[in-house]
Amino acid sequence: MRILIVEDDREAASYIRKGLRESGHVADHAADGEEGLEMARAAEYDVLVVDRMMPRMDGLSMIEGLRADEDRTPVLILSALGEVDDRVEGLKAGGDDYLVKPYAFAELLARVEALARRRDPDAVRTKLVVGDLEMDLLARKVVRETEEILLQPREFRLLEFLMKHSGQVVTRTMLLEKVWDYHFDPQTNVIDVHISRLRSKIDRPFNRALLHTVRGAGYRLQA
Amino acid sequence: MSNRGPAFLRTTAFRQTLLSAALFALSSFVILGFVYAASAGLTLRRADATIGDEMSSVMGRFEAGGIRSINSYILQRTVGGAGDYIYLLVHPTGRRLTGNLSSLPDVSPDSEGRMQFTYRRPPVVGAEETTKDDRQARGSLRPLPGGYQLLVGLDVDEELNLLSRMTNTILAASALALALGVAAGIFVSRRFVRRLDNINQVARGVKAGDLQRRAPRNFTGDELDELSENFNGMLDRVEALMLRMRHTGDSIAHDLRTPLTRMRNRLDEALREDGDLKEREKTLEQAVSDTDELLGVFNSILSLSRLEAGESRASIVRLDPAEIAIDLAELYEPVCEDGNLGFDSEIQGGMQMYGDRGLISQALANILDNAVKYTPEGGAVTLRLRKTADGDIEFSVTDTGPGVDEEDRVRAIQRFVRLDSSRTLPGSGLGLSLVKAIADIHNGYFNLGDGPGFVDGHGPGLRASLTFPVAVDEKDE
Repeated sequence: MRILIVEDDREAASYIRKGLRESGHVADHAADGEEGLEMARAAEYDVLVVDRMMPRMDGLSMIEGLRADEDRTPVLILSALGEVDDRVEGLKAGGDDYLVKPYAFAELLARVEALARRRDPDAVRTKLVVGDLEMDLLARKVVRETEEILLQPREFRLLEFLMKHSGQVVTRTMLLEKVWDYHFDPQTNVIDVHISRLRSKIDRPFNRALLHTVRGAGYRLQA
Repeated sequence: MSNRGPAFLRTTAFRQTLLSAALFALSSFVILGFVYAASAGLTLRRADATIGDEMSSVMGRFEAGGIRSINSYILQRTVGGAGDYIYLLVHPTGRRLTGNLSSLPDVSPDSEGRMQFTYRRPPVVGAEETTKDDRQARGSLRPLPGGYQLLVGLDVDEELNLLSRMTNTILAASALALALGVAAGIFVSRRFVRRLDNINQVARGVKAGDLQRRAPRNFTGDELDELSENFNGMLDRVEALMLRMRHTGDSIAHDLRTPLTRMRNRLDEALREDGDLKEREKTLEQAVSDTDELLGVFNSILSLSRLEAGESRASIVRLDPAEIAIDLAELYEPVCEDGNLGFDSEIQGGMQMYGDRGLISQALANILDNAVKYTPEGGAVTLRLRKTADGDIEFSVTDTGPGVDEEDRVRAIQRFVRLDSSRTLPGSGLGLSLVKAIADIHNGYFNLGDGPGFVDGHGPGLRASLTFPVAVDEKDE
């Protein structure tokens, strides 16, 4: 993937860049919003990672400029402002996801990869398939090896999110945000417990595990 | 501090007093001056009237008997002492014919012949006392046919002396009023300065770092006392904030030092481990998870500071608290089961309140986290949502853990306070402060109360409750 990092803090930028390169991505860097807007217009990027507060042109203005050009490249906003209103403001300006500083790199990587995937037109799909696991979004039915698996509504949403991002690392924070709509991190291992419940339903009765734990980062559903 | 003279000279009080003293002195001077002018005028008019009467009487004799008649009259009047009257008849040659004045005074009369002059009273035969002093007199000079001149006068020395004494008295009184005013000004302003100085000294002491100092008060409720009171109130607030900050700083140092040290040791260990890549990877992973814990603490500090500073613009909307409770029950039930705890929820529906779903969920999650963390296996956690007898909306979480001693409950809600019993468990000590801050911005109330008591070897437990006002229907308002 080709990713543009727009961040005025050079050290932070080089840290993100190095991490993304190590994960097999191509990462460019722009030092402020104006430069970022120019570079984003000049080349095709899969995802933009944009710092919110920058000199010359701030992140939100840059994104608005981009969207005014009908450029739909997914944008992950990085910001030290983490209140609900700040997020809403960021998403209204045209951002696709919002990550609050300080963050772990694994979190950033997982979100960048999730955003790149979002460009695929799978929003209209009614059926999700990962290996021998199938989810029918219309009938709200989950089947593995012809055996129907009964899930609670929340478990269904959790699995749906994991299947939509199959092959990618999904962090606990992402799950709390996207499945439960909570923007805080509980101190207890709530997500782990829910994952383990889900695991006992979709994996345990079968030979091969689909839901994997990625140490230090989160989970990945992969055939 | 300053070399512009004594401090009291520069005070507003001194200047005000001085100004009013000067005004008082001036007005008394004007009033007394008016009285003086009136009395002086009256005295001189009365003297002139008396002189006029006598002159008419003498002129009457002149009409009847000419110069000779006047001459004999004056002789007769003056021979035994004429009292305060003064007579002088002058021959056309300028020679004195008769009278008790040696010569015409060297004063030119006004158009009506009136004059004021000094004379020396001649020694009078038979009079016990004689005076050689110059005396003040008023007189009237009348030319007579044939070149004679007649002066009739009246001694007004006593009256004028009285008036002059009066002038002196007036001046003295004004000066005294001024002096008294200045003295009062100095006295009042010195007192003022001394009291202000006390406050200033306290301020300087505080500036130098002594936060314990307080301005003295006399509890009269005057403006300086009020100033002291407000000043002290401000210092109390500053001191409380400073203490809290210091405490927060200490706690941050303590709470961050532990994971930081642990992380440092792990990384150090990873550096020293030879060869074993698996071990090294494991160590690094643990270091990363330590970092996450640290970031978590930082995030909590940040959110709490924002909430407490009132900076957070919570998105408060009308909502059904049951939805929040149901979601959280669903989130935490598996966690409890996983930890071998019973979980139960009693959620009353159909109520409305104003709140921020995210924040209230976070508050409840913090309380539930604590319940799960502190309740030993085999215990139970209950989440309740109900309408209280007062009509408020109350979320409560009851557990069968060790509970919190009544005297520790207020402290447990403070920032970074971790009761000794919980020091060994993970956590930032910010959870309950965050709950309280969230309750505060919703005009709600956070309380720690008694749990269910000792049951089956568990307890006494804790009951944490969050109370919010119920939303009033628009049509009821």
